[in-house]
Amino acid sequence: MRFLARRLGFLLIALWAAMTVNFLIPRLMPGNPAEAMMGRLRGHINPASLKALEVAFGINTHQSLISSYFQYLNNCVHLNFGISLLDFPEPVSHVISQALPWSLGLVGVSTILGFLIGTMLGAVAAWRRGGALDSVLPPVFIVISAFPYFFLGLLFIWFFGLTLGWFPILGGYTETVTPSLTFGFIGNILDHSILPAFTILITSIGGWILTMRNNMITVVAEDYVKMGRAKGLKPRRILWQYAGRNALLPNLTGFAMSLGFVISGAILVEYVFNYPGLGFLLLQAVENEDYPLMQALFLLITVAVLVAIFIADIATALLDPRTRTTS
Amino acid sequence: MRRKSRVGLLASTLALVASTCVMGMPAIAGASGQVPLNLDNEQGELWPCAFTPFNGFDAMFSVGTIYETLDFVNALQNSKVTPWLATSYAWSNSNKTLTFTIRSGVKWTDGTPFSAADVAYTFNLLKKYPALDLNAVWSVLSSVKQSGANKVVFNFSTSAVPYFYYVADQVPIVPQHIWSKIKNPVTDPIAKPVGTGGYELSSCTPQNIKWTANPHYWQAGLPVVKTLNMPAFLSNNSANEYLAQGFSAYGAQFIPNIKSYFVAKKAGNGYWFPPVANVSLFPNLKSGPTADVAVREAISYGINRAAISQKGEYGYEPPASQTGVVAPTFKTWSSSSAMALAGNSYNPAKAKSVLVADGYKMGSDGFFSKNGKELDLTVVTNGGYSDWVASMQVVSQELAKVGIKVTVNGAAASNFTTDVLNGNFQLAYDVETGGPSPFYEMRQWLYSKNSAAIGKPAPSNWERFSSPAVDALLNQYGSTTSATAQHTIINKLQTIMVQQLPVIPVLEEVDWFQYNSNEYSGFPSATNPYAQPGLYNVPDWGVVVLHLKPKK
Repeated sequence: MRFLARRLGFLLIALWAAMTVNFLIPRLMPGNPAEAMMGRLRGHINPASLKALEVAFGINTHQSLISSYFQYLNNCVHLNFGISLLDFPEPVSHVISQALPWSLGLVGVSTILGFLIGTMLGAVAAWRRGGALDSVLPPVFIVISAFPYFFLGLLFIWFFGLTLGWFPILGGYTETVTPSLTFGFIGNILDHSILPAFTILITSIGGWILTMRNNMITVVAEDYVKMGRAKGLKPRRILWQYAGRNALLPNLTGFAMSLGFVISGAILVEYVFNYPGLGFLLLQAVENEDYPLMQALFLLITVAVLVAIFIADIATALLDPRTRTTS
Repeated sequence: MRRKSRVGLLASTLALVASTCVMGMPAIAGASGQVPLNLDNEQGELWPCAFTPFNGFDAMFSVGTIYETLDFVNALQNSKVTPWLATSYAWSNSNKTLTFTIRSGVKWTDGTPFSAADVAYTFNLLKKYPALDLNAVWSVLSSVKQSGANKVVFNFSTSAVPYFYYVADQVPIVPQHIWSKIKNPVTDPIAKPVGTGGYELSSCTPQNIKWTANPHYWQAGLPVVKTLNMPAFLSNNSANEYLAQGFSAYGAQFIPNIKSYFVAKKAGNGYWFPPVANVSLFPNLKSGPTADVAVREAISYGINRAAISQKGEYGYEPPASQTGVVAPTFKTWSSSSAMALAGNSYNPAKAKSVLVADGYKMGSDGFFSKNGKELDLTVVTNGGYSDWVASMQVVSQELAKVGIKVTVNGAAASNFTTDVLNGNFQLAYDVETGGPSPFYEMRQWLYSKNSAAIGKPAPSNWERFSSPAVDALLNQYGSTTSATAQHTIINKLQTIMVQQLPVIPVLEEVDWFQYNSNEYSGFPSATNPYAQPGLYNVPDWGVVVLHLKPKK
């Protein structure tokens, strides 16, 4: 119980610190959203619009930093994030809710798949150390993970999208179709998600394979594994129930963190595949000095990562009694 | 037109679900049986779905298509006025009063009749909410009132002839019966826009905006194209690929190597890039070497604009003239005497002699210096625009040949804008918005009231030019409707551009425009430039889609 309270306390302090940094950093950037908007529409907007934009965006209202800080904290607690300046005048919550499902669906599913597949392959590779799987998989995937996302993405678009014509090259769905809750539309979404998901999967899987394999190699040398063998347990049972379970522990926190970062999307994948998601939105918010949207997105990412780590801590404590006593 | 959609080997687990679904997809052709026109307009972001016509960004999704203006003023045909929601207009009271006669028989898309009251309401809405007054029309207006059943009278505090363009062509008219019920027109998103235009909003998602034809449009028989789609693109690459693959027949893209990448891909593909403004070097006139007119003159003579156009812009943007008049668009305004003084002549020998006459001495490293200070300039440009950075690199090479050292600084977009607006630069490469005659760009460049002190944002006149004589000329232009008088003023301004070089135009800014003429007829062209073709030009692109007809 004391352990739980301590972790919870840490969570809250980390959250407050992150929110404060989140408030200050955007305000240290040069310029303001109205000037950024003038730049974005350069050549297509009357220069006299600068005044109107400043009024609309509430710039030069002479509110003190302290009072806007407390107002910000209060708004955060009430989940009131204001109006996006990038997508003016859409509320920030609406802008995020439009992009969130895409990030969760694409990056979330491919992260989980990457972890599961990578971990299993890593375990098997270590179990049959020096075997065919062990000598081929880790080097191949390490080379692939060294490729940048966007390079693989462009390669796939060119080969599977344009040359073979198997997959659509862009978008979350055929852009001219009106979204609806039908099998046709869901299939369309799946069809569009395969290339980007595959890109994320094969670039992220290498890390999981390698760490799991290395953990396994240490664990396999442990006495209790030898004991299991000596007792004549089935190799499969030793692999998953004895060795695998213990080798998994160090990877859990890493997995939790990457789950937390799912919220931040995958900027390059979104950019290359023209996929709607939070990653590119965040980039846009920063480029256009959209403070409200930036703050909400950073807060969301922070909360997601902190909560994921918190859950991983609890899970580790449950799975491994040693962590409870040492802490 | 449809993209191939087939599930491959990689998705064997999903194949069953997906393949049945893909076959079950509805055909994309609309109810009318006509294939929709897909518009290719990359803005680097997903769509906001907020149809506020008084927002600088959102305007491109509704002004011209859904909301209409009083008149259509065509920048490509010497400010030619086409009556739109107003049937006529007249200046009176020594050009301080403008009276519009409002068209009858027009209906809002919800069936309510449109009237002069809506026009008066719209302008008074901008007065009440300065955040909506993008064109600052209330900086010169004193009142807007309905008069009689079908007239609206605009009273100006000063003679404001050039403001006709902003009042008549740039302010979309909104329905009073709907907008008067909106609590805060600045911050309340407009999800279901009601206008008088040829199109109604059909649906909007962050990935696509769909418009359908207004069946009761006041221009009988129009629009012929029944459905429009505008997909959102995050990157230029995706949007260019969409166009090159033939998914779109109307694009507004910058495409490298357009002939092989786009034109050669399909019969009927073509492009036209009409110039509308200047991309210029803005010298800081308040401090540093560029405050010296000889240095500015040397820069103008030292750059080979034709070479910059070819190397930096694939020749898409024609070389500009130091007179500041964009040709061929505004060629009738060009002053032959100003042209004779300098024009866009490239003369490296003259560049050097101008500097020598000003007291500069060539050093052993090949660069000029004066009073022990080397002529070393930094030019800031938008690092997000690879073509601008490339052009500036050519400028740097060109000027090195005449003894001027130039360093190119491609800054992040928002930092760049802040630097330009606040006068934090020695040289800046940027573009003004311009308007339907050379006057607008010249006023943006040269009118001292547009400027601000260094360190304060100036909406335009970034170089901080200030001349009472020029201000007087610009004000004088505003008080006359006589073409002869206007031409005389523009001629004088061209001479000032050539003699004082407050701004150094380098290339001409163009509208990006691609089309497929085998699928649709009626696109604007060099021989029939009836509207600006860019899908961000409002209300112009709304006028363009009214002219289009499918060819099959």
